[in-house]
Amino acid sequence: MGRRVNVIGVGMVKFAKPGASEEYNVMASKAARLALADAGVPYAEVEQAYAGYVYGDSTCGQRAIYEVGLTGIPVFNVNNNCSTGSSALMLAKQAVEGGVVECAIAVGFEQMEKGALAAKWTDRTNPLDKHVGVMNDAQGVNQAPFAAQMFGGAGREYRWRYGTKKETFGKISWKARQHANRNPYALFGETLTLEEIMNAPEVFDPLTRYQCCPPTCGAAAAVVCSEEFARRHGIANPVYIAGQAMTTDYGSSFGDSMMKMVGYDMSKAAADKVYAQSGLGPKDVQVVELHDCFTANELITYEALGLCGEGEAEKFIDAGDNTFGGKYVVNPSGGLLSKGHPLGATGLAQCTELVWQLRGMGDKRQVPNARAALQHNLGLGGACVVTMYRRD
Amino acid sequence: MADELRFDGRVAIVTGAGNGLGRSHALLLAKRGAKVVVNDLGGSHTGGGKSSAAADAVVAEIVAGGGEAVANYDSVEDGASIVKSAIDAFGRVDIVVNNAGILRDVSFQKMTADDWDLVYRVHVLGAYRVTAAAWPYMREQKYGRVVFTSSAAGIYGNFGQANYSMAKLGVVGFASTLALEGKKNNVVVNTIAPIAGSRMTETVLPKDLLESLKPEFVSPLVAWLCHESNSDTGGLFEVGGGFIGKLRWERTQGTVFRLGRAFGPDQVKARWGEITDFGKSEHPASVTESMAPIMANVEAGPSKGGNEFIDVDLALGYQFPESTSRYDERDLALYALGVGASRNPLDTTDLHYTYELDEGFQALPTYAVVPVVNGILDAGRRGETAPGLNFGLDRILHGEQYTELLRPLPPKQKLTHRSRVKAIYDKGKGAVVVNETKTFDEEGELLAINEVTTFVRGAGGWGGDRGPSAEVNVPPDRAPDAVLEDKTSEAQALLYRLSGDWNPLHADPGFAGAFGYARPILHGLCSFGYAGRHVLKAFTGGDARRFKSIKVRFADTVFPGETLVTEMWKESETRVVFRCKVKERDKVVISNAAVELYTEVPQKKSKASAPASASAAPAAGAAPGKITSGLVFEAIGAYLTKNPDVAAKVGTVFQFKLTSPASQWTLDLKLNQVARGETAVPECTLELSDADFMAMTEGKANPMKLFTSGKLKISGNVMASQKLDFLTKIDRKAMEAAAAGVAAPAAPAPAASEAPAPAASARAPEVFKALADRLAANPALAAELGAVVQFNVTGPDGQWVVDGAKVTPGRNSAAAAFLTLSDEDLAALAAGTADAKALFQHGRLRVDGDVRVAHRLGVLKNS
Repeated sequence: MGRRVNVIGVGMVKFAKPGASEEYNVMASKAARLALADAGVPYAEVEQAYAGYVYGDSTCGQRAIYEVGLTGIPVFNVNNNCSTGSSALMLAKQAVEGGVVECAIAVGFEQMEKGALAAKWTDRTNPLDKHVGVMNDAQGVNQAPFAAQMFGGAGREYRWRYGTKKETFGKISWKARQHANRNPYALFGETLTLEEIMNAPEVFDPLTRYQCCPPTCGAAAAVVCSEEFARRHGIANPVYIAGQAMTTDYGSSFGDSMMKMVGYDMSKAAADKVYAQSGLGPKDVQVVELHDCFTANELITYEALGLCGEGEAEKFIDAGDNTFGGKYVVNPSGGLLSKGHPLGATGLAQCTELVWQLRGMGDKRQVPNARAALQHNLGLGGACVVTMYRRD
Repeated sequence: MADELRFDGRVAIVTGAGNGLGRSHALLLAKRGAKVVVNDLGGSHTGGGKSSAAADAVVAEIVAGGGEAVANYDSVEDGASIVKSAIDAFGRVDIVVNNAGILRDVSFQKMTADDWDLVYRVHVLGAYRVTAAAWPYMREQKYGRVVFTSSAAGIYGNFGQANYSMAKLGVVGFASTLALEGKKNNVVVNTIAPIAGSRMTETVLPKDLLESLKPEFVSPLVAWLCHESNSDTGGLFEVGGGFIGKLRWERTQGTVFRLGRAFGPDQVKARWGEITDFGKSEHPASVTESMAPIMANVEAGPSKGGNEFIDVDLALGYQFPESTSRYDERDLALYALGVGASRNPLDTTDLHYTYELDEGFQALPTYAVVPVVNGILDAGRRGETAPGLNFGLDRILHGEQYTELLRPLPPKQKLTHRSRVKAIYDKGKGAVVVNETKTFDEEGELLAINEVTTFVRGAGGWGGDRGPSAEVNVPPDRAPDAVLEDKTSEAQALLYRLSGDWNPLHADPGFAGAFGYARPILHGLCSFGYAGRHVLKAFTGGDARRFKSIKVRFADTVFPGETLVTEMWKESETRVVFRCKVKERDKVVISNAAVELYTEVPQKKSKASAPASASAAPAAGAAPGKITSGLVFEAIGAYLTKNPDVAAKVGTVFQFKLTSPASQWTLDLKLNQVARGETAVPECTLELSDADFMAMTEGKANPMKLFTSGKLKISGNVMASQKLDFLTKIDRKAMEAAAAGVAAPAAPAPAASEAPAPAASARAPEVFKALADRLAANPALAAELGAVVQFNVTGPDGQWVVDGAKVTPGRNSAAAAFLTLSDEDLAALAAGTADAKALFQHGRLRVDGDVRVAHRLGVLKNS
């Protein structure tokens, strides 16, 4: 283990629907300035920048960060599908942790197009072809958005195994909207009834439209630094990263399980590593930001992260253990489902939310007594980053 | 008769009604309910005397028959009094039958002015007076029916009746205008030309004939024309002896003398046959129609001139009779050889023009001019030409050529050519004639346009339009971007002429000598073919399908054996300016030339029958009767054309790279086109063997299985490949028919998807009956299911509830689980050939409520 890494500043812009946002460079530079202001550190102190985005030509990171300052520092562009944001954060954290720099910034942004995710580069091997092959063997392929087929298929597999009711998936959306209603940064702040969620058009059984996250534009940023740097800048008791791990696909992803294909084992392994690093277990955590691109993924991830036992998700949900008053508050921000999911920004928006929570800045959605926070950010293709944040 | 034509409430005036036709009209109208004013002066038929007896007798007859009538004894010249009788007696007037007349028959030589005037006064002035007095009433009440009486004598003339003929045709013209003027007030005006035995015809018809020509054969027409239900107006009818017919005017098509051209008695005489030829006639029915040809000539403006060689008015715009021709791969290959392709058999760059089994066999596009020029030569040999072009082939030179293709020439085709004289220019000494030929394919779709510009020596000088003079397609002032050269063979012209240009100038040294050439010359169009091929080679890599057009000017003669050098300048992505020189003499032989290219290979518009035929050369080794991938792609094209929603939904450009045998196809579902080769940038490329492709389209191989087993390589958008399931819906019958070389049925069921699924009988009842039996026999099994389960079966639909050992049709909304699946899948579960978990994961078994119930669907198994 290297040095302790603090997250001294976070910031994000309110997410917007495709077409209604500012351009990526505007959003990203705003988020970066907010994070720097939050940290109280001038950009000149930042030694490296990690810019995460999925859709855009090369060096969008520089273009965005140049609007904050032109100090000639290294800027790395990071692309890791939906886990891009936390991948950028992890690189920044490693740079500090390993003593390479004292202070780094991670910025994540995305300017998305309308509609479901689709391949952009059609003249070459699709990076998800093996995943698609698993899906085809398991359930065939139809014309629904492919991500919905994959995560929905994982939901089917889970239902078959544990007899879960469809409404249980719907309840996750209901909870997400309840939380988002308290978050001014959320894209969909209006609450929905379970009936509305269940009666919405089906995207892919068991998922209805309100159980799929929307394409979103947005940006978020985090400034990380060493203990010494924090001390030098008079930052007392900052939030710090108590553990962080990234996993990519294991052989099990390419077997016959849809749940594993969409990253159940990656999530589980990453979480286990983080628990080991931090010395904290699920029971020590009060607040979780979890990659709920679809309700089905949130449901299976409760178990992957150990928030409940295997096959107990329905009971966990019905008991209200995923919301205020329960064992955990999962996705107080509204999650990807309601806050939105700008691919490159999501991981850093999760980080932002958790840092605010640990600082007690959660406003109407503040989780009581939040001391340890868990972040789960997953990308197909694949990469899963799990992070434990703590504030002493 | 309840539905007879009645005149109840109508008031009719019939003049001259004391005898003959008038009496008959009056009696008929009265019998049908009209109140009649019976007018008769009571004089003789020649106008002498006056008596009330005739009119009174008719009135008495009407009254005796239960009708209403009053008599009037005034002369029709006192029309106002007659109309006043009607108003006084009946309060209105609806019908006027102008029938009164007299005769003063005498040869014209002996006819007095009195004879003329009296006949005029009774027939014309009398008809005018009566009608004029009644007209305001009719206009006012917006109803009126007027009949005039004319005569064959007036229409055709008759000896001794000059005065009468004048008067009788006078009323026809009178009535024609009244008909027009009365129209808007519902006043209907017609004229009859009756033949009947009457006092007036006693003098001209034999007695025995007169007796059979009773007035009663005329009155029914009069009554009908006067009835309120008749709205035909302005008519002239011949009637009598049981015959009724309508007359109209007929006019010959006549002749037209263009303004500004010579027009005198000599020309009239010269065209007399045309002027009087009723073989081509028309029937003008109004002044406007009468004026039409006159106005047309005035609007056509002055003549465009001409001379003894060329009559521009006659020739310009002339449409030649349609002609047809056909060609096949052999013609294309021969032509390609004729323009120097594949001189070196080891150099395969031109082999796709000359070898029909080559993978990418294509027509050399300049071939499109060949059938057109052959047609012109054949017509010339038969002496056929456009009217107004009076010169022989010896005067003409092929000056310029423009050839445009709307899309690639198919490997074989039957063509239809429609030609017209597009332009004629007076170049002073010579003239220029531009013939445009539009060439259509078998389905009538425009395929090519040719413009053959001929220079006619010594035929100009009429002071006409000189035509465009700007120099076009002038090479820029820089080195050419590409230069290609080919040495022609000494026998090149002999080879080229086999494509159809038989002119001995290119073969017979003696003939060529007579024209001042030391030896036979090369066809200009042969050099043209070389040049076109060079441009394609230099700028499309030899892909002729992007060819759009070529325009050249033939500047000088080429002799076989000389070397043709094509110098090319790329003006844009779609335009290449070029010229051709003879290397040995450094002479420009083709100038002012350009080739235009398409950016994408254009496609046939109506792809209904043969979408991919534009390039669907038979695949190598294709056996007749065997369905080839080419046919499959054609059928796909046909299917997509019929089902445009498929392309709209999928919207992806797919490319298929098939191996063994190799072929490449583009399924452009953005433009809804299917074509051989890569015609659009693919978003998803599928590489697989021809055999696997065929299996896939037959539904025998699953694309994703092929993919996961490595037999199908997909690059680009993998997910898009999932939208190809429509491939299994292609009509196999049409393909089989196409493979057998016969036309597919006119309206083939386009796809299985549209045809209702074969009416499978439901298997669910059997499955549930068997289940009920088993559960009844084995209570332990009933316990296994352990919950109330509702089955919703689809296609055919049905509902069953399984509750313990009870299996009943219907619903139970309180069931623990609701299972939805197809009849087929249910039967498969019962047969043990399907797995419930797999069906569920595939979404074919949907479960609401407790999914685990579905784990126990083993109870459905028959065993």
